[in-house]
Amino acid sequence: MTSVSVAGPAMASSRPPSARIGKIVLYVVLAVGAILMITPFVWMVLTAFKSNAEIAKFGWLPGELRWRNYVEAMQTAPFLRYFRNSLFIAVGETAFTLAVCTTAGYALAKLPLRGSKALLNYFIVLLLVPFQIILVPLFLIVKSIPLFGGNNILGQGGIGWLNSWWGLIIPLGAAPLFTFLARQFYVSVPNELAQAARVDGLGEFGIFWRIMTPLVKPALITIAVFQIEAAWNGFLWPLMITTSDSMRPLQLGLAIFSQNPAEIQWPYLMAGTALATLPMIVLFVFAQKRFVEGMANVGIKG
Amino acid sequence: MSTTLERPALETPRKVSPAKDSRTLIRSQVRAGWVLLAPALLHSGVFIVIPVVAVLVLSLTDYSFGDTWAWVGFGNYADLFRDVDFQASLWHTVLYAIVVIPISMAISLAVAIGLNQKIRGLGFFRTAFYIPTVTATVAVATIWLWIYNPGSGLANGFLSLFGFAPNRWLADPATALPSLMVVGIWQGLGTKVIIYLAALQGVSRDLLESAQLDGANRWQRFVNVTWPAIGPVQFFVLITSIVGTFQVFDLVYVMTQGGPGSETRVLVMDIYQNAFQDLKLGYASAETVIMMVVIALFILVGRLLQKADVND
Repeated sequence: MTSVSVAGPAMASSRPPSARIGKIVLYVVLAVGAILMITPFVWMVLTAFKSNAEIAKFGWLPGELRWRNYVEAMQTAPFLRYFRNSLFIAVGETAFTLAVCTTAGYALAKLPLRGSKALLNYFIVLLLVPFQIILVPLFLIVKSIPLFGGNNILGQGGIGWLNSWWGLIIPLGAAPLFTFLARQFYVSVPNELAQAARVDGLGEFGIFWRIMTPLVKPALITIAVFQIEAAWNGFLWPLMITTSDSMRPLQLGLAIFSQNPAEIQWPYLMAGTALATLPMIVLFVFAQKRFVEGMANVGIKG
Repeated sequence: MSTTLERPALETPRKVSPAKDSRTLIRSQVRAGWVLLAPALLHSGVFIVIPVVAVLVLSLTDYSFGDTWAWVGFGNYADLFRDVDFQASLWHTVLYAIVVIPISMAISLAVAIGLNQKIRGLGFFRTAFYIPTVTATVAVATIWLWIYNPGSGLANGFLSLFGFAPNRWLADPATALPSLMVVGIWQGLGTKVIIYLAALQGVSRDLLESAQLDGANRWQRFVNVTWPAIGPVQFFVLITSIVGTFQVFDLVYVMTQGGPGSETRVLVMDIYQNAFQDLKLGYASAETVIMMVVIALFILVGRLLQKADVND
């Protein structure tokens, strides 16, 4: 980030007045952009405090801060349960993804496998397959996972992983994107470290787990943040495979809550939305720097 | 982190002959490699490769969750070409992609160039532009649903500031799809800005400076140095945007349900309804195959455009 400054000062010293005006214009444009990005969220939070009378016509500020809207919103729909379900899915999916994708990424980057180049290309091609394309067969596969949900060994007779935590977590975890991303990070760790440990008598799995993986923490953070966001914000898949309300995640709860235009209670809906959104914004603000580095790695070396 | 580097590991020579030693070492590495790779291969095989193959096969059948099904050849495809809902969905999705992709790429690049100057508050701006991206589409859609509310929403409040008559936005067939596009562009900026920003910071300082010494102005430096340098990233952004816009579903599902009429019906929504409400899995699969082909065409055109650009 520090290297950005080179072009700036040189220009500023040659043409001070126009450069200063340019800078002011730049700030104004960026600020307007930032406001356009943030306004809807401010609007959401403000609306959540309003009364039903206040939302009937356009206005910014609520007359008083009705914190009870949040409490009442939590009571009108089982938001707490939705919240817990989303948390469970996000944590489970992230743990699964980290385990599968770091191991695969490491093997692709550092171990002398025959055809590792082709395997890498395989994962790159897969990362272009949109989930929506495989929607229908994925549903059928999940429905016929053998020995689950009343299925026999051939995957017949029951519902498999439908309406189960397995079905919510496993199929969408471990996306090829994360295997690719992990690989990009492992590639840049010097081989000498692994060699030294090998001579020292450390096994291959020990090298992976104790030597190499601690060195790619930025990758782990990036993958974790990405995956938590994806799991938290997931909608279509839970919509398809959950039938009981007890397993529905937050986004589904919100959508169902907003499906009845005649009876939407905007303050409650906005309160629920604010509560659903806040954790992800906080997560991003804290993980921001590492996250951005990780994104840079996917984009540039891709 | 540097502590692991300093371990005196190299000073314990082994007694085994080096050739044999290195061969067994390699073998154990290969074995470990396949073990470590196996879960990812198994997972991607079961949950991506098999479904992709299955969708091709299913599209030639009339499968509908029942016990009996039959091959119908290309019957599903023939039916699709007579299906007005499908045609509307395809058209809206393509239109959505054609409008949203270039506009959002151009805005993102411009914002990234702005952020790449020496400015204060980079972290703030970056977060501001990224917040819509980390927010669930359902939440985003819910907020915008309220903004577009014809009675008391922010959009009409904004229009009234300038004395314009209120609009019905999502309820008006003429403005429904454009209203969705605005949200799509708005929400997609964050990721692209961050990727472009990373790419811009990787552009060679030396090249930019020597171009400046040769008397190239800002615009010339951008066209001749920066633009070619970020080519690969442009392509990455383009591909992810194509795949992303064709996936649009949550937004439409929450905001319009495809209405008014079928003015905002999109492909994934049509597929979803055919598959899981009408239970026509074979038919929905055929629809998916067509979507795959259209995405491939878009990527191909993108590639050609980029090639043409490089040859200039």
